[in-house]
Amino acid sequence: MTLRSLVATLALLVFAAAPAHAAGAGSACHLPEAGHEGKVDIITPHITNGDHIEIPYWKFPFFLECTLPKWAPLHVGSLELDLSPTKHVVMLWLGAVLLLGGMVLVGRAHARAMARGAAPRGGPNAIEAMILYIRNEVILPNVGHHGEGFVPYLLTAFFFILTLNLLGLVPFGSTATGNISVTATLALLTFLTVEVAGLRANGVGYLNTMFYWNNELPVVMRPLMFLIMSPVEMIGKLTKPFALAIRLFANMTAGHIVVLALMGLIFEFAGPASAAPLLMSVVIMVLELFVAFLQAFIFTLLSSVFIGQIREAHH
Amino acid sequence: MRAPLSALALLAAAASPALASSEAEAAAKPGLLDPHLGLMTWTIIVFVLLMLGLKNFAFGPILEAVAGRERAITDAMAAAERDRAEAAKLIAEQKAAIEAARGEAQRYIAEGRATAEQMRNELLEQARKQQAELIDNAQKSIEAEKAKAIADLRREAVDLALAGAGKLIGQKLDAAADRQMVEQYLASLGGK
Repeated sequence: MTLRSLVATLALLVFAAAPAHAAGAGSACHLPEAGHEGKVDIITPHITNGDHIEIPYWKFPFFLECTLPKWAPLHVGSLELDLSPTKHVVMLWLGAVLLLGGMVLVGRAHARAMARGAAPRGGPNAIEAMILYIRNEVILPNVGHHGEGFVPYLLTAFFFILTLNLLGLVPFGSTATGNISVTATLALLTFLTVEVAGLRANGVGYLNTMFYWNNELPVVMRPLMFLIMSPVEMIGKLTKPFALAIRLFANMTAGHIVVLALMGLIFEFAGPASAAPLLMSVVIMVLELFVAFLQAFIFTLLSSVFIGQIREAHH
Repeated sequence: MRAPLSALALLAAAASPALASSEAEAAAKPGLLDPHLGLMTWTIIVFVLLMLGLKNFAFGPILEAVAGRERAITDAMAAAERDRAEAAKLIAEQKAAIEAARGEAQRYIAEGRATAEQMRNELLEQARKQQAELIDNAQKSIEAEKAKAIADLRREAVDLALAGAGKLIGQKLDAAADRQMVEQYLASLGGK
């Protein structure tokens, strides 16, 4: 039964991509156009979204450019919603499918191991260690009492961001978490989670997280401080997700710019001196690998802290 | 500034036939900070589906398995604790029993020793008493024998004296009256 619903979930994700083939028209793959004159900006197309993806190919130059289909935009009220798959949308799908598939395998390994009455070995155990670390050391202590309900969201955020970060380091990959729209949406989800958590934990007291009214102040000062501090409280509320979005986006983007710039220098020097940027790009790439984990961790940690803060507010 | 921009525009135009290659649209090439509503929508859709999927098919079973293992370990530890407490209790009981047995043995030994001592003293006392009695008896019988011998001797002496005196006087002395006189005399001697 679980397997069937799993297949349904996967199918939903896969068939979401199906219209690409149905539409046919714009989704052709072709060899990249040869020979651009002069210098070409390799960095901007790499770090920005686009309407084509590159896939590996067995002949020189070993990749094909696939133009993604263009769907007619949906109209929601006065809003024009273009749901056409772009490079980063495809990376989101890919990341979600890989993550879900991998995690389901891990889950099945655990179910099998539990039937044996033992712990799973190898990979599943390593993933379990990560899950348990994030849950027991990051989420639960920061979220506070009865924080179990936030675990799925925060674990998903961690592993999804991590997967997207790592996919950005794979050849032909692209970093969806280096796109401000993606990080802003993730931060928005955290923002909503935080506010809902605050509402549920504090009830009417939730208003205190927006409006400053301190009964310990002299009566005259209260309205004054209310007028001064309330905007500060509200801005503070918005700054947190803003910082989350910018931090993740900037870290991912900056790292890729550095790596690409160093790779560009390899060709710019075109000689023995190329060894230096080559070495440096390798080193920065390793650093990026670390940053991929670090940023996913920080996003999860800070989300947990924000949720914990608002639940503890005015207790 | 101008040259790379137009190169970019060219690239964008070449890469995306869907886009018309007019300058205006090329300038609308996605920048770093442009929000993209479609991408944001997709992020939400993908994230929510992913979260539901992971919650039900991955984190759920994994955390459940972990919780099951934790439970098993806790149970095993509790059982071990129980067993250990029981073992400690048994050991304490054993120790107490041994201690009690040892105390009892000590008591028995002490008792035995006391009894033996007492018995020895009693026996000794008895022996001493018997000995004293024996000695006493012996002395008494010696004394009696002695008295009897003295009495015999005295009677014999009376008889001899009477016989001698009778022979001397030539007549037979009245046995009873004379005897009494001699005996009175002897008694006055013996009194000294």
